[in-house]
Amino acid sequence: MPHLEIKNLVKKYGDFTAVKDVSFAVEQGEFVVMVGPSGCGKSTLLRSIAGLEEISSGEICINGRDISRDEPSDRGVAMVFQNYALYPHMTVRQNMGFALKIAGAPKREVNEAVERAAAILRIQEQLDKRPKALSGGQKQRVAIGRAITRSPDVFLFDEPLSNLDAALRSQMRIELGRLHTELGATMVYVTHDQTEAMTMASRIVVLHDGIIEQIGTPLDLYNEPHNRFVAGFLGSPRMNFIEARAEQSREGMVSVSAPGLDGSLRIKLKAGADAPAPGEKVTVGVRPEAFGEHDAGGWTIKGSIAVIESLGRETLVYLDGGQVRATDSESHEGYFAVHRTRQITARHGDGLTVTVDPNAVFLFGPDDETIAFPQSHHSIIHNQV
Amino acid sequence: MGSRFRFVNVVLYGAVSLWSLFVLLPLVWMVIASSKTRREIFLDPLGLPAQFRLDAFERAWSVGMGTFLFNSAIITFFSVIVIVVVSGMAAYVLARSDNKWMQLVYLMIVAGFAVPVQAVLVPLFQMVSEAGMLNSRAAIVLPYAAYGVPFTTILFYAFFLDFPRELEEAARLDGCGRLQIFFRIILPLSGPAIASAAIFQAVFIWNEFVLALLMLTKPALKTLPVGILQLTGEFTADWPAIMAGLSIAVLPILLIFILAQKYFVRSLAGLGK
Amino acid sequence: MMTDAAKTSLTGDRGRSGAPRSAKSANAISTSVLLGPALLLCGVFIVVPAILAIFGSFFDFGITSQNWEFVGLGNYGRAASDPVFWIALRNNLIIVVGSIILQVGVGTILAAILDRGLPSGSTIFRTIIFAPMVVSSVAIAIIWLVILDPNVGALNAVIKQIGLTPPALGWLGDPNIAIWMILIIAMWQFTGFMMVLILAGLQGIPKELYEAASLDGARGLKAFWYITLPSIRNILIVAVLITTIGGFKVFDLIYATTQGGPANATQVLGTYIYQQAFNLGNMGYADAISVVLLLIAVALGWLQLQISRRA
Repeated sequence: MPHLEIKNLVKKYGDFTAVKDVSFAVEQGEFVVMVGPSGCGKSTLLRSIAGLEEISSGEICINGRDISRDEPSDRGVAMVFQNYALYPHMTVRQNMGFALKIAGAPKREVNEAVERAAAILRIQEQLDKRPKALSGGQKQRVAIGRAITRSPDVFLFDEPLSNLDAALRSQMRIELGRLHTELGATMVYVTHDQTEAMTMASRIVVLHDGIIEQIGTPLDLYNEPHNRFVAGFLGSPRMNFIEARAEQSREGMVSVSAPGLDGSLRIKLKAGADAPAPGEKVTVGVRPEAFGEHDAGGWTIKGSIAVIESLGRETLVYLDGGQVRATDSESHEGYFAVHRTRQITARHGDGLTVTVDPNAVFLFGPDDETIAFPQSHHSIIHNQV
Repeated sequence: MGSRFRFVNVVLYGAVSLWSLFVLLPLVWMVIASSKTRREIFLDPLGLPAQFRLDAFERAWSVGMGTFLFNSAIITFFSVIVIVVVSGMAAYVLARSDNKWMQLVYLMIVAGFAVPVQAVLVPLFQMVSEAGMLNSRAAIVLPYAAYGVPFTTILFYAFFLDFPRELEEAARLDGCGRLQIFFRIILPLSGPAIASAAIFQAVFIWNEFVLALLMLTKPALKTLPVGILQLTGEFTADWPAIMAGLSIAVLPILLIFILAQKYFVRSLAGLGK
Repeated sequence: MMTDAAKTSLTGDRGRSGAPRSAKSANAISTSVLLGPALLLCGVFIVVPAILAIFGSFFDFGITSQNWEFVGLGNYGRAASDPVFWIALRNNLIIVVGSIILQVGVGTILAAILDRGLPSGSTIFRTIIFAPMVVSSVAIAIIWLVILDPNVGALNAVIKQIGLTPPALGWLGDPNIAIWMILIIAMWQFTGFMMVLILAGLQGIPKELYEAASLDGARGLKAFWYITLPSIRNILIVAVLITTIGGFKVFDLIYATTQGGPANATQVLGTYIYQQAFNLGNMGYADAISVVLLLIAVALGWLQLQISRRA
């Protein structure tokens, strides 16, 4: 029996349907991250699990019990809010113990639970302070501590790190990972930040327009996205997309060509995929790290460097391909994002040539479903080193 | 530039000083006149008294200024408490509901703010008198509260709209019902709004005249504004006693105002929002 | 990690035993508990009297009399042909227009000076000028009554000292002067309030706006005209509306000084309603005038709501 199960959940606001018939299950001890662009329904879904939104139809089960009509406090969930939501008029101790106090637990028990949670988060020193006296990171620890004190069946996180600065955010990511292992608890985490999703999740749920696009481990989603949306959403900088046309296909291979690029790519379709008819619109997807430097029997893009970002151990180049442009690109200018795991000394305007290896690209069909994956992810990585 | 700057400053200081003087002189004159003799005030209205005396204060006090003060104080106190609690609760429900009927209720309450007491004086008096509520301190608290509720509800409504929702959601997850959320989370964090509302209503009720004039006619129940008007009848030509009575009525509230002027100003300026 | 006791108390027995808990009815109960008192108070003391005033305006009746005689629109007809009603309405309008010019006008100037014109001391000035606002109108009326008194008043003493002749009938006794004196007393009382209201608006103008303007060459009066006034436009409108509403509601000040006299020269709607109802016993007629006042007040209140919503 799954620990948390969502069945056919629908949430409507008037005529607008925020969550459209969503179902998935979370096992005991999993760290599930729900991710998607703003307005995709991820927060609504989380708040429905918490009981802060009344669902229109469907079921939410924890340990097999349908809790979808229960009061939030009767569901055995605890939530960590984006703005911490600490009660300003209570001390840290009172904040953390409030739920148990309302539930009528004896003082001694409340205190023990608070102390235990404080020890896990190393905030014993802060217990008698008011939230106002704490830094952002400390507030977030207290908010997490408040959840731990309640000993919930499921922890819910609503973009808990988005108010922290970059350094603190990566520190808290590690901390949350540690907590998850230490508590062995089931956690459902909402974020719009794909880095958080990739780094922390045992499984990721990608939501878009109120439906689930794909569920899987971070690397599954990165390596084998079901469609162009998932492919574009995970990975930073995002995947480069090149609009192309299918030509003839034979024996599980399809040739595609794109305006402005000489020759055609012969790409191996994934098993069971329908080959696009000749002339149909397809999209070629190239991860920034998948651009080669030597001709591998595919396309060659000759261009000039529009922007170069040197990060020390790695370099990001935004390549202006002249007439050849990436669609739906990170830079909105149609530049290609190229990632290199070494230092490059070049300047704006310098020429750069990259190659597209037909074995290293994704291919998305006319309906944006993925119809071809790169042949070997490892080989791509080795090629680049 | 330097000398011009100083000249402009002198003009601006002059302007506000002149107005301040215009405001202060009547009050100063009131205090001075109250320590004069009847003869002095008649012969030399502007001069200082030959000798500082308090007998006018004694005469004024003997009419019952103490009673008036007491009546005003308790009526104001209870009215303000009723207003704050009742408006706070109502504003909370209204601010947290997107139900159409509730919005209509809010609009009705806002409309109530526009109704002046003077325009309903006749029926209000009839109702109160039919209900046998004339000459009752407890009874006048109710209409006072009623006329304070609309504005205070509007004030709290705006405050609650800005109140962080996540705190309430956290409280729901922590097991609080709606009443518990209101009394354990919202109220303790509404200090500034409550202070603003309370000061505003206190000033208004402390000075309210027409309802008190109609509804509290027994001397032992009269409030300060009605009581001091009675002074002019009581002491036909005893100007020092009248001025002493006014001083007793005016100086305490002025003192409180000066001590807490920041809060008074903030509270009353809120009307502009 | 979970203490069993805590877990039970949190997940609760309600859910587990499957007993449906009626969240909706609990909500309805708490709604009525929270909203009920306000609705009851406003309903009984505002809505019902307002309806009764409209109802009563179609009848003739006295304070204690039980006979209500239906007169239809008779009371309104009576008002239309009653010169005192028109004098009262005119006086309300004089007070409204005069107060807007004096209180909002002077208040704006004082606020602008306090906001940016003085290097120091603005809090003291603000406190003094605002002070009359916390004093009861009755007390203010009596203080001025004495100041303006022909025999012992300070004003006459000053006028005589300068060598001029004060009005023979007294400042408040002369029908041609009295209403203007009322206007001055009202100005003394409320200008500070307007000043503080407008000052709050002025202090909301970001400093950068003035800095940018001064780089563009607008300083002093020019900055006031091009930056300050447009920025507080909405506050000024609200101030005008508050003053207008106050001008129609005026009662205490006149009741405690002239009671509408001499010869109805300072009569306003508020005092006239009171006089007709409680001195002359024409309750129905008083109700009709009340309805006129009510309509004016509600219309102005609605306007104020619209404007503050836009702000």
